[in-house]
Amino acid sequence: MFLKELTELSGVSGCEYEVRNFIKDKLSQMGCDFYVDKLGNIIAHNKGRKNKTIMVAAHMDEVGLIVSNIDSEGFIKFKAVGGIDQRVLNSKAVLVGENKIPGVIGSKAVHLMTSQEKESSLPIDKLYIDIGTNSKEETEKLVNIGDYVSFNSSYVEFGDNLIKAKALDDRTGCSIILELMNQKLDADFYGVFTVMEEVGLRGAETAAYQLEPDLGIVLEGTVCADMPEVEDRDKSTLIGKGAALSLMDATTVYDIDIVRSVAKIAEGNNIMYQYRTSASGGNDAGAVHKTKSGAKAVAISTPCRYIHSSVNVASKKDIESVYMLAKQVILENQKGEQ
Amino acid sequence: MFNSELMKRLSDCFGPSGREKMIREMIKNEIKDYADEITTDPLGNLIARKKGTGKKILFSAHMDQIGLIITHVDEKGFLRFANVGGLNAKELLGLRMVFDNGLEGVICQEELKDKEKLTTGKLFLDVASTDKEFIKKNFRTGDMCVFKSEYYETKDCVICKAADDRIGCYVLIEALQNHPETDNDVYYVFSVQEEVGCRGAKTAGYSIDPELAIALDVTATGDSPDGIKMDVKLGGGAAIKLKDNSLITHSDVKDLLTHLAEKNNIKYQYEILEFGGTDAGQIHISREGVPSGVISIPSRNLHSSGEIFNKADVEECIKLVIAAAE
Amino acid sequence: MLKEFLFDVCSNHFVSGFEHINGDILTKYFKPYTDTLEKDKLGSYIFKRTGTRDTKIMLAAHVDEIGLMITKILEGGFLSFTTVGGINPASLVAQDVTIYGKENIFGVIGIKPPHITSEEERTKPHKIKDLFIDTGYTKEKLESLVKIGDIATVNREPLSLQGNVISAKAFDDRACVAVLLETAKELSKISHKSNVYFTATAQEETGMRGATTSSYKIAPDIGIVLDVGFGKTPDMPPDAPELGKGPIVAYGGRMNAKLTKKFVETCKKYNYPLQHEAVPARTGTDTEALHISRDGIPCILLSIPLRYMHTSVETIDLYDVEITGKAIARFINELDNSDLEEVLCF
Repeated sequence: MFLKELTELSGVSGCEYEVRNFIKDKLSQMGCDFYVDKLGNIIAHNKGRKNKTIMVAAHMDEVGLIVSNIDSEGFIKFKAVGGIDQRVLNSKAVLVGENKIPGVIGSKAVHLMTSQEKESSLPIDKLYIDIGTNSKEETEKLVNIGDYVSFNSSYVEFGDNLIKAKALDDRTGCSIILELMNQKLDADFYGVFTVMEEVGLRGAETAAYQLEPDLGIVLEGTVCADMPEVEDRDKSTLIGKGAALSLMDATTVYDIDIVRSVAKIAEGNNIMYQYRTSASGGNDAGAVHKTKSGAKAVAISTPCRYIHSSVNVASKKDIESVYMLAKQVILENQKGEQ
Repeated sequence: MFNSELMKRLSDCFGPSGREKMIREMIKNEIKDYADEITTDPLGNLIARKKGTGKKILFSAHMDQIGLIITHVDEKGFLRFANVGGLNAKELLGLRMVFDNGLEGVICQEELKDKEKLTTGKLFLDVASTDKEFIKKNFRTGDMCVFKSEYYETKDCVICKAADDRIGCYVLIEALQNHPETDNDVYYVFSVQEEVGCRGAKTAGYSIDPELAIALDVTATGDSPDGIKMDVKLGGGAAIKLKDNSLITHSDVKDLLTHLAEKNNIKYQYEILEFGGTDAGQIHISREGVPSGVISIPSRNLHSSGEIFNKADVEECIKLVIAAAE
Repeated sequence: MLKEFLFDVCSNHFVSGFEHINGDILTKYFKPYTDTLEKDKLGSYIFKRTGTRDTKIMLAAHVDEIGLMITKILEGGFLSFTTVGGINPASLVAQDVTIYGKENIFGVIGIKPPHITSEEERTKPHKIKDLFIDTGYTKEKLESLVKIGDIATVNREPLSLQGNVISAKAFDDRACVAVLLETAKELSKISHKSNVYFTATAQEETGMRGATTSSYKIAPDIGIVLDVGFGKTPDMPPDAPELGKGPIVAYGGRMNAKLTKKFVETCKKYNYPLQHEAVPARTGTDTEALHISRDGIPCILLSIPLRYMHTSVETIDLYDVEITGKAIARFINELDNSDLEEVLCF
């Protein structure tokens, strides 16, 4: 739901205003109960049959850049926000600040490069954004230190039910929670749209603290490296093969009994699923399961190729699988006698 | 008297971080007749309480051990893995591993091209089978395995796997079984997931909210040629930790433990560890803070399949825990 | 007064984990301007000025400093040590130190003379395990004076350089504790509505531990974190913040954007100088602990420019300390008279 709009909004970690306002708007239109907490997380409540407190979380923020300095010629220096391989920044269009001033991250013309330069990639502190001004003063009128910069990348449907957009990590999760809220299920859960996941699971810490969930269901966009020249064992997830269930990552060792029970729910409802095989990376579950006296947590993710770049690719079918599985897990946990 | 039989069972029991079910059951069985209240929390910590109206004290030893998680199974029986807890490729090569169902494998290495370094990605577990059906039926992504090695003892020391921190659990079990007469409200916590970041300790510390916390864990020694420089040695007694990377022991706690050791004629030594952390690291910053310390069991060859400790040191640790519970 | 405070504090030690030893120095200076003192369980000092309404503003600056801890007593009266907090071993070479044992003992960290050091060796920096403190005592005598676990710091008399520039060990982060003192002094001249908690946190250098526990204890509505930032020197990029040009305001996710903006506006309105830096992710300061304490605390982060961080010759400009103290007092005044809900809402 609203995936196209969500991915085209700017919401770099620490500056999720646009995404937050959009989601607040939609929640209001749906007649859902929600509030915004002290860090900017949206905490929405779907009332219904309740056995336990369930927190369904997806993060609103995306990786991007932040303006660190304006040089004497008016070019803009920046730092990365979240984990970005600097090589994805070469020859890109970006949008700077609240007013979305268009800019480009260029690259020296190959004609002018020495052979040594061609062999190495430039580190981030050697890159800069050009907004077309001629002087420092001109740039300073439009741009400030601390302004956030997002990729300029539009939503495109292509191939066999595939989507290309920026920030599928984790607007897919946000879109799925909106859909779940819209269903008005007779099953109690909190739909939580967190901030600052990409820079250390920050929003999830305070959201979980407030809710004290028994079960956290984190809906993420996750690594999918099913490309040529990558060994099977390193791919982590495969596109089109269903909702990815995490077993272990750097921030959480998932309770295997719960993971296998989610797999059973998928099988029982004919929902395609796979296991996320990589043990690296992390997500909001890392914060949720350790909050206060502890909680159980699972992560159900949409495989995304080229994650943390401006051209994420995911399969509509996988997104649908994650949505259906999340829905069934909620219903299953809240069904039966109270 | 050192209870070798108990320690052997503790060491042999399967329980890598996040999969502590079997070790939890085993310990629960050992302590069930000695505690007033036994609970398990959402992360799997086993909490045994001896009720009281006095000071609230928390002792923590972690049940989990390091191991590997299987990330990929190919049909030839070559399994790829990632580590659970601190382990590197060099330490793993050639080792025998065992799964919770008793099946075993050996860690082998891929061919290394010119000047390539050995990394975990270049290793695989060979489960010794050419039967595709057998492999498919018994090994799945997400399974975990631990070292396979034999318990062995000499007159004064023991070599076994998972002394980190089953020896800590041993100390707490013995201490609980000999719990002193006291008004204090004492919690013996057998924590989970310490090896992946002291996660169990964080939640246990929050929910119990003690006035004093003492962790029981292993520490390294400086008495072997392995290059670690420390003043701690096997046979030097219970180690009272002064500092590691996760904790600067509260001076009051250091003084308390020192005083108790001297008063009760318990052999002790001071310990500073220049790397690593323990459950106390997470517990001491819980809520408004908890004065915390660690009683360490000196050990050599940590995070290997043959960790070594001294039985007499363990006895001193038990005595100190009991003194502290009072 | 600020210079006196700083020279006093920096001539004594507050090594992480041992901040309780010289606490009376803090009390001496803060008492005239604050109402109460409380401590959290890790030893952070919380000086409070009571206000007239419920709002709680927590100012945090860490009082602990990096130092050394004795790990072993060796033959010949030498001591092996480890670091408490991050220290570049290179900054310890050829220094005088004091070891705080049964009594204060003088020591020297020296290295092999150049005559027996090869060219190749000289290109390699020392590691902590290669360095020793020479006390000049015999091992036996030393054992009666020093135990493992005792701490030591490098000796450095605070120095007045040109103008308002001063240099000492451990201005990180006592320069900011001085800012807190200045703010307390300024607030004592005006009436303020909010309760202000001047928190000298413990154990920041070892992981923001005091900030974790003190922020939990106070549970403030707003957090203002002060730490030191990197002041420009010839080996740094041209756009780095400079000494004497005012505090550095941080922009990034850990800091509440509207609150930060309000501070910047306050400074513009009253002509306080400001410098700016982007800190998109980890700040390496107490902010890490504060902003996610309990259900979250909206924070701003201000840094005092400092040269040669984590050496024994940290250098700052007193002007920056004073002006920041005044700016914060003014900011608290502005907050007192604003609709806080409006400022903090999303």
